[in-house]
Amino acid sequence: MVEALSRQTGGHPFADPQLAVPDRAGLGTPEASVDLELDTQQQDLQRAAIDFARASLGGSRVQADRDETFDREGWRACASFGVMGMAIPQEYGGLGLGLTSLLAVMEGLGYGTRDQGLLFSLNAHLWTNSIPILLYGTEEQRRRYLPGLTDGSLIGANGASEPDAGSDIFSMRTRATRDGDHYVLNGTKTFVTNAPVADLVVAYATIDPKLGATGITGFIIERGAPGMTVSRCLDKMGLRTSPMAELIFDDCRIPASNRLGREGRGVQVFETSMEWERGCILATCLGVMRRQLETCIAHARSRKQFGKPIGKFQSVANKIVDMKVRLDACRPLVYRIGRLKDQNRPAVQEAAIAKLQVSDCFVKSSLDAIQIFGGYGYMTEQEIERDLRDAVGSTIYSGTNEIQRNIVAASLGL
Amino acid sequence: MSDVAETVRDFILTRYLPGESPENLRNDTPLRTSGILDSVATLGLVSFLEEQYEIEIEAHETDIDNFDRIADIEAFVERKRAAR
Repeated sequence: MVEALSRQTGGHPFADPQLAVPDRAGLGTPEASVDLELDTQQQDLQRAAIDFARASLGGSRVQADRDETFDREGWRACASFGVMGMAIPQEYGGLGLGLTSLLAVMEGLGYGTRDQGLLFSLNAHLWTNSIPILLYGTEEQRRRYLPGLTDGSLIGANGASEPDAGSDIFSMRTRATRDGDHYVLNGTKTFVTNAPVADLVVAYATIDPKLGATGITGFIIERGAPGMTVSRCLDKMGLRTSPMAELIFDDCRIPASNRLGREGRGVQVFETSMEWERGCILATCLGVMRRQLETCIAHARSRKQFGKPIGKFQSVANKIVDMKVRLDACRPLVYRIGRLKDQNRPAVQEAAIAKLQVSDCFVKSSLDAIQIFGGYGYMTEQEIERDLRDAVGSTIYSGTNEIQRNIVAASLGL
Repeated sequence: MSDVAETVRDFILTRYLPGESPENLRNDTPLRTSGILDSVATLGLVSFLEEQYEIEIEAHETDIDNFDRIADIEAFVERKRAAR
């Protein structure tokens, strides 16, 4: 990847020569448009990510989606490319680049690969496992875990939701009882992305249910910890190549030194990880939306019905316009998060807004893409319908869009 | 009136009760047991107090005995400051 960074190929990362058209209206073609969100180096990074994704994560994912196959080779390739370490300081094995640069790479990956499940697993690993350990871990914890999380040898997961604690996450019942130099955990976590393949879990439990949120505490739990088992794998509508399961804690003993942050401050750890996840998890979706747009434009130009390209019919062209407008409106929302976090500034409201708006737009654009392709859009082999199945999850994970509205309302003093 | 009580009152009004009249938030107004502050809001208050008064508050100290009324919070903070 270092060599890719040093290559100065020029032009926008998404420039596709096959889409070259005269810029009659002067509104800017993909080749000519200026990317106001990324500087030159970030655009180079994004271009390298696209090239990497096409080369190493390319190809059809129809069968993998059907079989719910997690791409371990792809995971290792992403690690070799440097994705997992981009935002991690060099002293822990990372590259120490800013968040905006990582978002640029994630957008590029979303554009270059059809395996959104793999990227979803990558997102979970980054925002809800690596980042909390970086920000709230002791120095010993950082040195023990971040190098492995960064080089891909450790896969991270996050255990927060429970069968009876979803949106009302702080009503969780998993209990952590101090026993000498250990904590003993009992309870169940559900919807745990990466659980079947995870080496490290950041999980939350309460030291006393009567304390409510002030009793919730974070923990780092290694695979093989006595008393932690991966329970039933969960079959999903979309993102099927990202494995998900429940975690059962049955007198699970972990060293007290594996507590993440202070006792009773798990809410802060969790909310920080959610701030990062909400703001950043949809960067890959921007790449998908870009790919959808370009695919639909190409189709609308080439597919003829009633003697002319279907793009000449307003009902088709208008949908593509809407896809373009959504993409252009969504990108600044995500990159705003990058700039805020690169300046060490809070982004709670902005992250909720980004998650809410981009996910809604992703669903709408995915629906439009299917409609534009008609019957072919409905067929699995075209790999268009899968984007919609993947997109629906984005309105639910990281806190439902209803919760995002609550967060924004609270930030407005309502 | 103690500085701690006023500081806590200002924080709660600004952060959790925008638009509320300060006269309605007395030192003996129940906060936790009335639902004015839930446990998440209490955590925010705890973090504020730790930073403001350079004290450390343990999880088990955040129960309603210490955090239900401004008067309780004031007494708790003063004990913590005296013990430093």
